[in-house]
Amino acid sequence: MAEKGGKGYLPAKGGKSALKSPVGNGDSSTKSKKGKKVQFDSEDSFENNIPKSNGKADTPAGKGGKGDKVANGTKKPTVKTPSPTERRLEQELPPNSVCLMDCEAAEILQDIQDHMVILSQDPDIKLPVSFDTGLTYAKRGGNYAKPQTVKKIFEPLKKHGVSECEICLIANICPDSVDEVFALVPTLKPKMSKLREPLRIALDELGNLKEALANLKDSK
Amino acid sequence: MYLKSKLSWNVVLPAENLNAKGLILQKAIISRLMANFAAKKASKDLGYFLAVTTVGNIGEGKVRQQSGDVLFPVDFSCITFKMLTGEVLEGVVHKILKHGVFLRCGPAENVYLSNQKMDDYHYVPGENPYFMNGRSSKIEKGVVVRFLVIGEKFMEAEKDFRAVVSLEGDYLGPVS
Repeated sequence: MAEKGGKGYLPAKGGKSALKSPVGNGDSSTKSKKGKKVQFDSEDSFENNIPKSNGKADTPAGKGGKGDKVANGTKKPTVKTPSPTERRLEQELPPNSVCLMDCEAAEILQDIQDHMVILSQDPDIKLPVSFDTGLTYAKRGGNYAKPQTVKKIFEPLKKHGVSECEICLIANICPDSVDEVFALVPTLKPKMSKLREPLRIALDELGNLKEALANLKDSK
Repeated sequence: MYLKSKLSWNVVLPAENLNAKGLILQKAIISRLMANFAAKKASKDLGYFLAVTTVGNIGEGKVRQQSGDVLFPVDFSCITFKMLTGEVLEGVVHKILKHGVFLRCGPAENVYLSNQKMDDYHYVPGENPYFMNGRSSKIEKGVVVRFLVIGEKFMEAEKDFRAVVSLEGDYLGPVS
């Protein structure tokens, strides 16, 4: 699992030096841009890029290029401190933005769609093309209770240093087990011992809630 | 992930839309704002634009010397959808190639999962090609797959995002 984590960060974070050397087929345009993320310039380079990103993870290739130091140097910190990913995730949020859980977004977007029945009579009022697909995706879980309830269930996790963004990630995953949470949100791993219990309680509560809602649906 | 953002845009109203009655003017400004928002479709920072949720302060209009249009600064909140690197999302497979599959994830159509990022799956050619692993888990058209986002890029010209995703890790793969 640690290995998986490492691979995940590599392309995004350190890779620069390890990257340049192993990539034999690297065209110069990608090299210069190769800063933080896996990039692709045009439709064709989509596939060109894949071997590259793989090449990055391939330490033997890296060794051939610039020597062990480089390969190890970039790998170690990423594996040991997974926190950069979290910082990046939060950093990736534009200023003046907060993240929403899918169920929160679903509620707000559904509300807007309900209003559109009347509003659409006015040709001046337009919705973005992505509205419908956005709403469908938000509703895919379908069986979540009110966002306020879900928020309350996860609230105790904040005391243990789990960020708003991480809570949204957990809620969106709809996890069945604590291990699933740690596997999919690796930034929580350093706090694993502290978080296990509160997470288990939260997931149990969520499970009960889901079950109760499903029963309610069936009985209707 | 869905984002809720506070933005401040300038809305330009042609002089003929100006109306002395406050509410009508407000409505004209808001519907122009919504039209601008819809036309913008997406941005690099915010992702796909979904909806304007609330309109806050509408500032004082400034007349443009040349055209006579009036420009109003408007504060508003909106909801957008952005794929963040490191995030776990779900997508529906819509195209299968030898080298990987394309998925649809909410408004994003070009989510690419390379066969190198799903090592245990192999390509099975045929009229309806698919990918399958040793435990008979199948990735075919219409299947919902849970994946990890490893990179995304905004295509300025198309106002669309492309993402590369991976199945390397536990609890990732087709969702039953």
